[in-house]
Order: sequence, then C-alpha cells, then structure tokens
Amino acid sequence: MHWLQERWPVKEVFRLAMEEDIPGGPRYSYSVGSSLLFIFGLQVVSGIWQLFYYVPTIDHAYNSVNYLRLEVPFGWLIHGIHYWGAQAMIILVALHMVRVFIWGAYKRPRELTWLMGVVLLLLTLGLSFTGALLPWDEKGYFAAEVGTSIAGTVPLVGNWIKGLLRGGASMDQLTLSRFFITHVAILPGLLMMFIGVHVIAFRKQGSVGPWKESKRQTSGPFWPDQVYKDMVVISVLFLILLGLIVFVRAPITGPADPIDTTYQPKPEWNFLFLYQALKAFKGAWEPVGTVGLPLLGILLLILVPFVDRKLRRNPAKRPVAMALLGVAAASIITLTITGYLSHPGQSAAGTSGSSGGSSQQAAPADTTHSVDPPGGQLSANAKQGKQLFNSLGCVGCHTVNGQGGKVGPNLSNEGNRGRSRSWLISQIQNPKVHDQSTVMPSFSGQTQQHVEDIVDYLLTLKSGPGASGGAGSAPVAGAAADTSALPKSGERKGKPGPAAYMIGNPEHGKQIFTQQCESCHGLHGTDNVPNPGSADGKVPPLNPIDSTLYSRNAQTFVEHIDPIIQHGSMPAGPHPQLHMLPFGDSHSLTQEQIAEVEAYVLQLNGVDRAQITHPGIEPEHFFWGTLALFGLMGLVVAIGMIRRSPTRRH
Amino acid sequence: MTERNKFISKKQAEESRRGFLKTVTGVLGSLLGLIVAIPFLDALGIGGKKGAGHFARVASVHSLPSGNPKDVSFQDMSQDAYIRQMVTRDVWTIKHSEQDVTVFSPICPHLGCRYNWHADKNEFICPCHGSVFNKEGKVLAGPAPRPLDTLPKHIVNGDLEVKWERFQVGIPQKKVVS
Repeated sequence: MHWLQERWPVKEVFRLAMEEDIPGGPRYSYSVGSSLLFIFGLQVVSGIWQLFYYVPTIDHAYNSVNYLRLEVPFGWLIHGIHYWGAQAMIILVALHMVRVFIWGAYKRPRELTWLMGVVLLLLTLGLSFTGALLPWDEKGYFAAEVGTSIAGTVPLVGNWIKGLLRGGASMDQLTLSRFFITHVAILPGLLMMFIGVHVIAFRKQGSVGPWKESKRQTSGPFWPDQVYKDMVVISVLFLILLGLIVFVRAPITGPADPIDTTYQPKPEWNFLFLYQALKAFKGAWEPVGTVGLPLLGILLLILVPFVDRKLRRNPAKRPVAMALLGVAAASIITLTITGYLSHPGQSAAGTSGSSGGSSQQAAPADTTHSVDPPGGQLSANAKQGKQLFNSLGCVGCHTVNGQGGKVGPNLSNEGNRGRSRSWLISQIQNPKVHDQSTVMPSFSGQTQQHVEDIVDYLLTLKSGPGASGGAGSAPVAGAAADTSALPKSGERKGKPGPAAYMIGNPEHGKQIFTQQCESCHGLHGTDNVPNPGSADGKVPPLNPIDSTLYSRNAQTFVEHIDPIIQHGSMPAGPHPQLHMLPFGDSHSLTQEQIAEVEAYVLQLNGVDRAQITHPGIEPEHFFWGTLALFGLMGLVVAIGMIRRSPTRRH
Repeated sequence: MTERNKFISKKQAEESRRGFLKTVTGVLGSLLGLIVAIPFLDALGIGGKKGAGHFARVASVHSLPSGNPKDVSFQDMSQDAYIRQMVTRDVWTIKHSEQDVTVFSPICPHLGCRYNWHADKNEFICPCHGSVFNKEGKVLAGPAPRPLDTLPKHIVNGDLEVKWERFQVGIPQKKVVS
C-alpha cells in the first residue's frame, strides 16, 4: 500500500470519495442510491457477459439468448441477473425518487442534483424499452412495435421520430441494430456520465440529513458506517434477486412472429400505467395520452424544485407536496394493476388500436372470419356443441367459416338450409339413413345430449350462401391435395426444420394447438378422435404421446416430432380419412408457430422445452448455497455485534 | 477511570468499531464479488462437450477412383453454438475396394493446416511445416506428432458416410475435441 501510495494518490482519492459527515448519522433509508449504483454495476457486467454470446441479428438473436440461458454454464444466472436486475433498477429508481422527495432533498441548493436524477430516470426507462426488443421474442417485438407506433403519434414530427427509432418504416433488422447500439453503448455511456455528475453534485452539498433539528445534533461518517449499512442492504437485495432468478425464471415468450395473431401483446409491467391511461384517450385525443401526458409528467418532475421554493423539509409541514406524491403514487400503482388485469380485445368497447392484440378466445388464424356467428353469443348448449364439433373431429371433414376439412360438405351456412332438428340428429347418429354411400362415420355412441348440443351449434351457423373457405391459413385435413408423397406413419422420414431449434412458449403453443390441432388430436391431445379407415381407427393421442417419440431430453423429443409436423404423415390403414398435414412444408404454420406448438406438446408430456442442459450448478442449489453463506456471514456479524455491545465489558 | 483513560478507551472502542464495520463491509463485498465472479468466469470457459455426431453422406463409393487418394467435398449440417447451417466439408478418401475405403481428416495433426496429395512423389505433404505422410497416413518426415487421423465411416447402400470430427493438434494421441 505504501509502495502504491508513493506513486498514486490513493489516500487522497479515497478520502475525497469516502469521507463525508452525514448529519444525523448514517441510515438504512439512505441506502437506496447506493443500491441503485450496485444494480447498475451488475447490469453492466451481466450485460457485457451476455455480449459474449448474443448477436443482434433477427435470424439469430432469439436462439443466441436461449443458447446462453440453457446451454452455457451459469448462463441462466447471467441472463437472470440482467433481466431481474432491470426490474429491480426501475423499482429502486422509483423508491429513491420517493425517498428524496420526502426528505425534500431537491430543494435549494440541490435542484440540479434532482434534475440530473430526472435525466437518469428517463435514461433508465430508455434502457428498459430498448433492452426488451433485443431477444427478438414475441413480447419484446410487440412492445417495440407498439411503443414506436406511439412515438409516431406525436404531432408533426411523429413519423420522423418513428422512422428514426425503427430505422425505416417497419420493424426489422435495422430496428434491432439501432435498439442494440442504443441499449449497449449510447444509453449506458450517457448513464455513466450523468451518474458521475449526479454523485459529484450530491457530494458537494453532502447528505441532506434529517429535517428535525434535534436529530441533526450528531453526525456520522460515510465510511465505514454508511457503507456498511449500504452493504447490508445490497446483500439482502442480491439475495432477493437471486431468489427471483432461480424461482421465477425470466419468461420465454416465444420467437417473434409478426404474422401471428394469437399472441396478446402487452407492455412490460413498468409501462402498464401508461398503457392503461392511454385507453381513456380515443381517436383524435390519442396524442394527448401518448405524448401530452408523459411530457406533462416529465415537466412536472423537472419543475418540482423550482415550484416548491420553500426550504422547509419536514413532510408533516408540506401537505401539498405529500398529497401530490400520494396522488401520483396511487394513480400509477392503480393504473399499473388495472393494466395488468385487463384483457383488451375481449371487452365489447373498442380500444385504441395501439393497445392491439387479438382476442384470447379460440379464434381461427384467419381473422376475417370468426367461428362465432355474427351478432349474438352462443347459448350454453351451442357452445358445448361447438366444443364437441371440434373435439369429436367433425371439423376434420367439414369446413365451418374457413376452417376445417373438405371431405364432407361445408357447414358454414347449415343453419339456413331449412333442415329440421330430427334430420340433423339422424344425420349425426346414422348418416347412412340419408345417403347409403356416405363415408361419414356414425356417431351413435354419443349421448343424446351431446348430439342435441351439436345440432344447436349447427343451427347457429348462418354465414350466408357462398360461404366457403376463408383466406389461406386454415389447414385442410383429409382431402384434395396429393397425399402420396406424405411419409407413412412410423417412417422417420424427413429432417427436422428450423422450428426444432427454437424454444417455443407452451402457453402460446396451447392457443395455436386449440385452433389447429385439437380438431384431430382432441382436447389437450387426449381424446381418442375417430379416424375411419385407418388401421387403429383413431387419431394418435399426443398426451401421452407414443413412447417411441417421447424423450426426457427436450431437444431429442422435439427432433422426433418436428419432422411429422413439418412434412405430415399418412396413417397405416386401407383408407384413412384423416392424416397429419404438412404444416411446415405447406406454410400453414410458420416455423415460429410450430416451435410454440412443440413446446406445448412437450409440456403435455411433462417435459420442459426450455430445459437448462448446462446449469454449471443447479439453480436451486446455487440459491440455497448462497443463502447459507450469507446466513453464516450474518451470524458471524451478529455474534460480533453482540460481543461488542457496550453492556459487555472486556 | 481518569478522564484521559476514558478518552483513550473510548477512542479505542471507536477504532475497533470502525475496524469491525470495515471488516464486515469488506467480507460482504468480497462474498458478493466472488458469487458473481466465479460463475461468470466459468461461463466463459471451454464450451460443453458436443453431442453425439452424425454421419453425413459423402459420395457413392462407385464414383471414387481406386487406389489413389481423392479429396472429396460434401455437404454437412453443422451445429455451431446456436447456428445450424449446411456447410461444405472435405475429406481425403482412398478406395481399396467397393467395401473398403479409408477416410482421412484433411487437417494436419501437427498444427491444423490443410495438406495435399502429391501424386508425383506418392506422398501427402503439408505446406506449413513440411510434414510428409505416406498413403497409409504414416509420418515419413516433418514435425507431425502422429499419423493422419482417420474419421469414423461406414458404407450404406453403396454410399460412403462419414462422421466429421476434429482432433486436438500437436499431441501424439488422437483425441476428439468436437
């Protein structure tokens, strides 16, 4: 140390940074700022570490993140620290602001420190916004899609701003590139600069200390007392963070798929209050909500130290300030909670377009039609009938409003054909009664109630004459296409496609499954849906799936089932009416959608698609081990403090 | 206790208190540092062992010339971290019969250069440091520490299939690294 001190001003720098007298002494409530600095440090380190693996290109971004999370030892920790650290930073920024506000530490001569703080707040929100897009997953993609469109609503310069943010008109590679450089270099650089200014400004005036004169009689040093308190708070914070990382994994929302309408986009939690507030501003008033409100908020924050010039700091004597704080906090929290609970697209009232996303009902991929009849809800019986129509496999041969097979007639307008209930009932139970040569199987095994429910449903189908298949993406089970090229079931023909190497989101996969797979494979893949003409008479269940396809290893499991989904398959048997469609080759599903469905099928069979294959140390063991270490440390500290307490004399 | 003694012991108590706080702060800080540093450093270490390789179709045995080595290119699916793509690879093949083909990795076991067959000399010669091998892969001259590495192969329906592997260079043992 002496050698160093002779060459470098170590002591002087240390004194300058660390020696400060805190009026009223060090307090735990002053630790929030240091905690923020610590978390920011974690973000920088975990961010840089992620850069060893992440690539900012739309074809590889998503897979590179998952490679880090699942296949790099401790990758789950690096990514987890960065994800949860980001959430922590937002919360801590809010807490810090509130703490400073309550203490009145923005008042003269500390106005500029406060202003620097407002800048830091905006930079932090900017980091949160730009970072979300980088994995190029569903959530981040749509958050950026909507966020940049909101920027586009700024009057006059909106389009220019939106173009600047996106690097063009659409969300694509150039968008990712500039969000990347902004998040990784520009904003952190600015943040570091302004943190420097903020801290230096703070040190010039020192801690503002308690507002009660009586509490200001003593003082205490920053080093080591406040630093000790800070370190305790930081340690607790770190343990909480680790707990979240291990037990509440950062979500995997699936690869970004711009054409997919089944995903419901919602902003990250910290922007939910804006999202919810926006709903009050419809049509021409929208810019007021998207631009006016946030600008007003920022303006108010900036003006705080200039509007409130009284030097009084006791909160009890600042009722207006405290009331405003209460109102602001309450509104933001309320808006956040209601925003979290809301499901736009399901409510009857129209919402402003930017809060977008489609219905969470099982609507078909073709959004111009709906399987629900126009105007009016289905009765309970008809709803049940519709469910049965899907799960019993009717849709495998009959098209309804653009979805289904072409073996039998299109039933979209069945309600208008003037058929009596009894005719329909007998057609379902014993079709040969009406047509000797029909290939429609008899559903006489169904209960009378079920048949009645299906008839109820059929009678609601009134989409008008000429109703035929809707645009494109509905798969055609059974039918017209040349099926000779399809692999026979049991053949392991065909290679896995790109979908097999993308980690899907099983919740999203469930929605796609409901629309595209349930009609043949049954509800949750369990029902034995009849497949007349096939060797075993049934569509194979997916839950549980055939044991030759199953594997405990997620990647192996997916590589077994992916070729079947990509290239289709023909079941053994003389004349199977249903066969597995080539969803990949026919582009009925995008590769991203197939990946999502695969994650769901794995989940049905108890396998986690997002298995951590190379954890380094298992996350749970790492958590308990770290907790134990800190616990031990805490014990040592506690013992040390007890031994040192003034009542014990040596 | 005299005033002075009280003062001194108070100062001592103060110093030891400060010392205690400094120690705890230091230990907590180091603990945090290590808990982050060790996993992070491990994450940068050698990548995980690759999964079981696959066999790729190289060429039909019929198309290979008998006797002399032929450098054959083929398409192979490569898994490079998170990037899967078809790449072109090549191997040296020597056909002894329709059922027996020797396959050599094209990578010199000395330091990783690509070597060439010189028909006039009936030898493989590596241009980087002058290693020389005969048709059986044996080292005739130069710094190569071991003979040419053979690759796993089998013949299926008249097609030669090869499993692409890489071996650690510069050592006498043939050790698969990927």
